[in-house]
Amino acid sequence: MSVIETRNLNYTYSPGTPFRRDAIKDISIKIDNGDFIGIIGHTGSGKSTLVQHLNGLLRPASGQVFLNGKDIWEHPKKIREVRFQVGLVFQYPEHQLFEETSYKDIAFGPSNMGLDADEIDARVRRAAKFVGLREELLQKSPFELSGGEKRRVAIAGVMAMQPQVLILDEPTAGLDPKGRDTILGQIKEYQQENGSTVIVVSHSMEDIARCAKKVLVMNRGRIEMFDQTPAVFSRADELGAIGLSVPAVTRIFMILRARGYDVGDNVYTVEQARDRLLPLLKKGGDA
Amino acid sequence: MMLNEITIGQYFPGRSLLHRMDPRVKLVLTFAYIFAVFVPRNWAGLSVAAGFLLFTVILSRLPVRLVFKSVKPILPVILLTSLLNIFYVTGGVHLFDWGFIHITTKGITTAAFIAIRILCLISGSSLLTYTTSPTTLTDALERLLSPLKVIRLNVHELAMMMTIALRFIPTLIEETDKIMSAQKARGADLESGGMMQRVRALIPILIPLFVSSFRRAYELATAMECRCYRGGEGRTRMKQLHMKTADVVSVMFVLLLIALLFYLNYTLPSVL
Ligand SMILES: Nc1ncnc2c1ncn2[C@@H]1O[C@H](COP(=O)(O)OP(=O)(O)OP(=O)(O)O)[C@@H](O)[C@H]1O
Ligand SMILES: [Mg+2]
Repeated sequence: MSVIETRNLNYTYSPGTPFRRDAIKDISIKIDNGDFIGIIGHTGSGKSTLVQHLNGLLRPASGQVFLNGKDIWEHPKKIREVRFQVGLVFQYPEHQLFEETSYKDIAFGPSNMGLDADEIDARVRRAAKFVGLREELLQKSPFELSGGEKRRVAIAGVMAMQPQVLILDEPTAGLDPKGRDTILGQIKEYQQENGSTVIVVSHSMEDIARCAKKVLVMNRGRIEMFDQTPAVFSRADELGAIGLSVPAVTRIFMILRARGYDVGDNVYTVEQARDRLLPLLKKGGDA
Repeated sequence: MMLNEITIGQYFPGRSLLHRMDPRVKLVLTFAYIFAVFVPRNWAGLSVAAGFLLFTVILSRLPVRLVFKSVKPILPVILLTSLLNIFYVTGGVHLFDWGFIHITTKGITTAAFIAIRILCLISGSSLLTYTTSPTTLTDALERLLSPLKVIRLNVHELAMMMTIALRFIPTLIEETDKIMSAQKARGADLESGGMMQRVRALIPILIPLFVSSFRRAYELATAMECRCYRGGEGRTRMKQLHMKTADVVSVMFVLLLIALLFYLNYTLPSVL
């Protein structure tokens, strides 16, 4: 069964004013339990708006959101329960830190869930381990940390709620390449260890290619494609037409193929490229 | 709760006659209108004043609903004044007497009269902010106040502070909205609980908001210094303000309105 399903979601910002803006239109998707979904789309295509519907922060103008088969707006009073099950890490989450110590900030979510002190402590430490925060950083004020460390604290704050579905809106924006790789690796590890469903919004095709099993492509508030990662990245022309691209490696392979080299297709990551090219190079060397 | 539904002081871009008027003239005329609203002493005069407002709303091509929306936040104030007037003003026919409470026709008339007056006042002034961008408005204010330089009032800095404050109101609202969403995503409960609990629930919102406001202030100061901003001395302007025929016509129109209101006071009996 799909863990999250949306039916004909529509949402308009500032309806009835000159600023009205249809942010998402007619979104129907099904997300299976344990999947790793990537969401890509041009700036303003409605990615952030869509993910805020999945945990009930925004209420759709029309349409429904189902979590484990139940309409999340059936009992609007209980919407908080939904937010514990669908954890959402916002874009630039470091701006939401407020506690005296990083430890307390990570504990904010779990204590809102009404857990007991031991459980909260266990969860905070577990989450801190996932994002690679050392013990001494936990006792520091979050405002004394570096940008990347703050980001980790914020992500840990949502992971500590141990949501069934973890959504991250551009978790790697503004980080250096090493920081990006680390955080993505940690998210992937979290997913594998907990068997949870993860949804990542990203502008980086490389990140998506490396992590996501399925990719959702948004364009002007609508779904353009929703398919397995290889299937999406094989449609390079269509992606180009809506201002997106395929990973750089994929582009190189497309050019190689166009020049008549028999390198095959379906290459999206550097590792795949290496595995594909090394045998060919060896063969070339032997000849 | 959606904070971005607050419309007071918000600017709605457009190309109407009102939008294109010289902001200085608009500002002065708005004050003139506020004065005018206090002139009438009878229903005929008040209707003329309200009718004039409706006319300008139509000229602005803004949805009439929007103008009413601006009144919504101060409805409690209007209700309170109306109630006070009903209880305190006595005269005319007594409709209801109970102990020290007397409700009279005059009380009700006064209450209605003053309520309409406040409505005109608020809608009239919000029409100014609806059709004038904050920067244009402070620009106009700076020009109008510039004679005060002789008493060593730094009009330019005052105007700059106002511009910056106004400029950042929407940003702050947006930021607050975002932080609230982020904390709600972590299960923050902002809607239930007693007084103390609600105040405590504000901490996770206020602290990040303060932090980001200070960050913004530093960034802005640095950016201004990088562009060699050093106050108003000898600064020229990119946008010069010009009076046009439409401005002259509107001034005459408002003068005519005020004259008419005085005339109506003079010829018709007062109801207050
Ligand atoms: N709070 C808001 N009020 C009004 N309009 C908004 C608001 N938030 C987003 N929008 C508009 O809705 C549309 C979709 O925005 P959204 O933030 O979902 O895009 P996005 O795909 O996340 O973009 P980005 O990649 O830049 O984060 C945009 O056109 C945006 O201008
Ligand atoms: Mg976004």
